[in-house]
Amino acid sequence: MAVDLTPRPVVEAGPAGPRRRRPVLPRVWHFVSFGGPGFAVYACFVLAPILISFGYSLTNYNPFNPPTRYVGLRNYQLLLTDRAFLTSLKVTTILTVIVVITPNVLGLAIAVLLDRRGWLYNALRSVFFVPMVLSSVVVSIIWTRLLDNEGPINQALRTLGLDNPPGWLSDPDYALYSLGAILSWQMLGFCVVVYLAGLQGVPVELQEAAALDGAGPARRFWHVSWPLLAPALTINTVVLMISAFKVFDHVQVITRGGPGEGTTATIAFLVLRTAFEENRGGIASAQAMIMLTIIAAASAAALKLLQRREVEL
Amino acid sequence: MIGPDGMATRPAEAGAGAAPSTADKPAPPVAPEGGRGNRRAWRGGGPARPIVAALVAAVFFLPLYVALVNVFKRGDLITKEPAALPVPPTLDNIVAVLTRPDRLYWVSLANSVLITGISIVVLTILSAMLGHYVSRSRSRWVRAVTLLLLCGLMIPPQAILMPVVRVMQATGLMTTLQGLILFNVGYYIPFGVFVFTGFIRSIPVDLEESAAMDGANRFQIFWRIVFPLLRPATASVLIFLGVWIWNDFLDPLVILGPSQGTTVTTGIYRSIGQYQADFGSVFALMFLATLPVLIFFLALQKQFVKGLTGGASKG
Repeated sequence: MAVDLTPRPVVEAGPAGPRRRRPVLPRVWHFVSFGGPGFAVYACFVLAPILISFGYSLTNYNPFNPPTRYVGLRNYQLLLTDRAFLTSLKVTTILTVIVVITPNVLGLAIAVLLDRRGWLYNALRSVFFVPMVLSSVVVSIIWTRLLDNEGPINQALRTLGLDNPPGWLSDPDYALYSLGAILSWQMLGFCVVVYLAGLQGVPVELQEAAALDGAGPARRFWHVSWPLLAPALTINTVVLMISAFKVFDHVQVITRGGPGEGTTATIAFLVLRTAFEENRGGIASAQAMIMLTIIAAASAAALKLLQRREVEL
Repeated sequence: MIGPDGMATRPAEAGAGAAPSTADKPAPPVAPEGGRGNRRAWRGGGPARPIVAALVAAVFFLPLYVALVNVFKRGDLITKEPAALPVPPTLDNIVAVLTRPDRLYWVSLANSVLITGISIVVLTILSAMLGHYVSRSRSRWVRAVTLLLLCGLMIPPQAILMPVVRVMQATGLMTTLQGLILFNVGYYIPFGVFVFTGFIRSIPVDLEESAAMDGANRFQIFWRIVFPLLRPATASVLIFLGVWIWNDFLDPLVILGPSQGTTVTTGIYRSIGQYQADFGSVFALMFLATLPVLIFFLALQKQFVKGLTGGASKG
């Protein structure tokens, strides 16, 4: 069951040793025949474009306005004081915080609630999984209808006596939070699945021992289950963080960055608008490079911080 | 023999869960069936739990309910009473979408099926082989290859789309299905490789070596002996990438362009601009576009959840 390389050194040290040491040529051939095709496509469509993007970010590249000149770090310098860019960073940060916290908290509560056997709980679990396989475009359109000024939610609020319900998606003060709620709804199922799996890995004996020692359900959860859920928390947090940071589809379909001046324009949205609508390739590439750096740094930091909490059984 | 669900299962899950550091720890104490039953019985639970659980699920389901009833509702009622049950139900919306003169639904469906189908088959083949190289080779370049692939897991498409578009324009791949498929293969290959790598490590090298002694070549060994043992990993890769690529919006929007070739997602996006007031058709189109992936998901739900929960339970 132990997966790793443990058996290999033994084999190598044994009499079979020399047989394993192959000449260089077959090694190259192994890469070319097995790894080559896949790696070549990856190199062409991901690795090379990253390098080219970085190159663009140092130029004033604009496909419709040649010639392209090297401008050094000027694009990055400009971005430091660019209103639209700084706003997009703020918007993305707020959205990420909402999306990391809400589904994590609600997902844990729902997982605890559903951590039972039986047909009812199986069926209810499926309900929470469904949004995970829905396209973000579909989710966006459904919620656009729901949160419309004259949509069912505001109709319900009016019948409850609230005469001026907020314009959830048309009011600059609300739109970003509505977007956060929609994303949280869609990501909730993921957290529920991961926490449920974590809860099912908590040994019964530990729970029983804690109960015998007189711990109630709350203390049993906090002192027994919760520490053992650390890996689930790590996965959820990192996955939510990366997905929230990359949100584009929902913004494009629901708000197009508005209402008002960029109130919901995430960085992922801004990069594409700068690149393909304004055709300012150099600036867009610089924005993308900053975005990439932030994602890499934030997920590495979160992984490091959260994995420290993980305990051994 | 290595049963496909026996020893082979765990490592792949660890791989899928992106928790490679835990791979050498003992397996989690998954309680045997009997023990599990005891545990549930022991935990018990009042009558409130199923009621609360059902209520929470009902609230969560409300948006989907509204979407669903509006598929079968007359257009004027959708804006007037969006949450009411569709009485009498009508199939007009669905018929309207299916018989549109420009065949938007059928064209989008065909494109999505082609793109998703070809992409996931090619991805499975290429990433299984690359995974075999990464987990079996002891060349010192493997580390570099692994690291480069690991980076690919978090690169946002925004960071690469502009050069990709330029290269595709130069090579005539822009606005073609082949172009999008190639991009999908390149972009999603790291995920496939990591699922397969963890899995291939769990298969004893001896198996391959004895086959080599019998005179089989590398390809025969891989496709006849190793690959059939990778079935759970193959399932994970096919399911996840299938759902992701089917639902992908940004890449088809940019690479296929917003007007010519559409996939189901960009087709829906296009239709909200056109229909404007006719939400019946929009809901029907969304319903019809989601149906294939929903059936796919409900049929394979167990596999899906298994793949998702990889490293979550300390695997």
